[in-house]
Amino acid sequence: MPQIENIKQVSDVVWEIPTSHKPGMLVPARIYATKKLLDAMDAGVFEQVTNLACLPGIVRYAYAMADAHWGYGFPIGGVAAFDTETGVISPGGVGFDINCGMRLIRTNLSFPEVKPKIKELVDLMFRLVPAGVGVKGALRISDSQFDEVMKFGVKWCAENDLAWEDDPSHVEEGGYIKGADPSKVSRQARSRGIDQLGTLGSGNHYLEIQVVDPARFFDHALGKHFGIVEEDQVVVMVHCGSRGFGHQVGSDYLRVFDGAMKRYGIAVRDRELACAPFASKEGKDYYGAMVCAANMAFTNRQVIVQKVREAFSQVFHRDAEALDMHLVYDVCHNVAKVERHSYDGKSAEVLVHRKGATRSFGPGHPDIPASYRSVGQPVIIGGSMETGSYLLVGTSKAMEETFGSTAHGSGRTMSRTQAKREVRGADLQRRMLERGIYVKSATMEGLAEEAGMAYKDISEVVETMDAAGISKKVVALRPVGNIKG
Amino acid sequence: MPFRYLPDIALADVAFEAESGSVDGLFEACAQAVSDIMVDPATLRVGTAREVGVTSDDLDTLLYDFLTQLIVLKDVDSLLFREASVRVAPDQRSLVATMRGEPIDRERHGLRNDVKAVTMHMFGVKREAGLWKATVVLDI
Repeated sequence: MPQIENIKQVSDVVWEIPTSHKPGMLVPARIYATKKLLDAMDAGVFEQVTNLACLPGIVRYAYAMADAHWGYGFPIGGVAAFDTETGVISPGGVGFDINCGMRLIRTNLSFPEVKPKIKELVDLMFRLVPAGVGVKGALRISDSQFDEVMKFGVKWCAENDLAWEDDPSHVEEGGYIKGADPSKVSRQARSRGIDQLGTLGSGNHYLEIQVVDPARFFDHALGKHFGIVEEDQVVVMVHCGSRGFGHQVGSDYLRVFDGAMKRYGIAVRDRELACAPFASKEGKDYYGAMVCAANMAFTNRQVIVQKVREAFSQVFHRDAEALDMHLVYDVCHNVAKVERHSYDGKSAEVLVHRKGATRSFGPGHPDIPASYRSVGQPVIIGGSMETGSYLLVGTSKAMEETFGSTAHGSGRTMSRTQAKREVRGADLQRRMLERGIYVKSATMEGLAEEAGMAYKDISEVVETMDAAGISKKVVALRPVGNIKG
Repeated sequence: MPFRYLPDIALADVAFEAESGSVDGLFEACAQAVSDIMVDPATLRVGTAREVGVTSDDLDTLLYDFLTQLIVLKDVDSLLFREASVRVAPDQRSLVATMRGEPIDRERHGLRNDVKAVTMHMFGVKREAGLWKATVVLDI
């Protein structure tokens, strides 16, 4: 860690950089990390989280979660809430992969049943869920149907035999965010996205078969609430987003905002932080288009899940219903949403940007599905393909401290170039197989870039969030089969 | 190579720096870098030519829009390019490029990472010691 002037320790896992650190900071920055994680954070995190604290209308704090690393504009693992009347909206605060997120599906299969079929399952899913550079999906829809996808997400899927009845309610925001405006989406964005529903993409995106880790089943009662009951239960995790559609919406509006800032007299320390007042025409247009992309991402993950159900059904010769393949939950981790929060002694709507951060609403929140409301929202933290993932639960403390937000994953510590220098894709694939993880990847170079050593220790990240009380551990999930995009 | 990767910037993404004695050469080098991130160029043939025209506000945004266009062509028309021949207009606000490559072939091409977008983080074109230079961070 570089020397950070005036950084003060608030608790074992919370650090604060005061407004005196940098001219223009409107609020302090808060970093959730153990001393070990803090010391390992790259300089970009501190630079970017304090830049974030300078954006007009930001309230309380600019946050960096325990998985934070150097991103573009916002740090990855960044959270910022803005006053809806005086604050801004920033495409760079959402990221290009709008509503990149995680989905967890349970099964009633045990690992001994699945183990002999892992290769068959992964190979079949690899065929059914296209992954890699420039892939197109099997689902063909018209322009007007794509409008419905943009507006109604998983609700549209439920009306078109692409979802089970209880799927929409087990997706953040009930399967679609309100306020989509397809007229604010460019022709080019439509062209990039219309053929991509049901595709995984590339980079760190994956589709993974996982097993409950019995040694790290922390809360059986909560697990039961989420349908995770057995110590060798098999689940499936999906990590992907809005594909080229969201990427183009982000690119289009970054250009619009880059020009608009002069008109609104806004100066930023990084062009990627380009922003405009949320209440402005540009701000409203971007929000309407961003919601379209967020709803497309929910739909993309839904179409993938239908393919996963199809694959399991085919391999185990049973209906997916008989395999109890219900959705545990679906969370966004790149998004900006209007939410009501209590802060500074008042309750108000704020625009919460989460870039590489997960919503973590606590018990009783009306936006949590009825079946989970008494315990809190499931929080899905995806790890590297070697080290596994976690299911956690949202807390009241997150509502009090972080606008209902927590971390999203491991966070990288090594560049893609360095990872490729350290390991060859084929060697990694063989090594993982020896450890009981069968991996199939669209690219061997890409596989090497996603090696576990390129990431922080996810357990340290999760322990930090648990110790901070902004999400609580439920169960660790160990990978046994992985498709890497 | 007329570009070099900057591995310590934006860890989850890919940054590069390109340089050339001319603006046209700089744009060609940046196009080559974007392509190199997505595919091993040695596995690409140059069977398909595509004309790309871009008009923009200034030289910076012209480069941003040009590189974005190449990413769009990868998604919409499944085209990857090995060679670029770029002519930037004297006012530096428009260009015409001839891109040569071929449609994606998953069996034959050494595919790498899908580039999502060109970011504005550290983005810029400048002239230094007689050379045109650009820094680009791509979202992966």
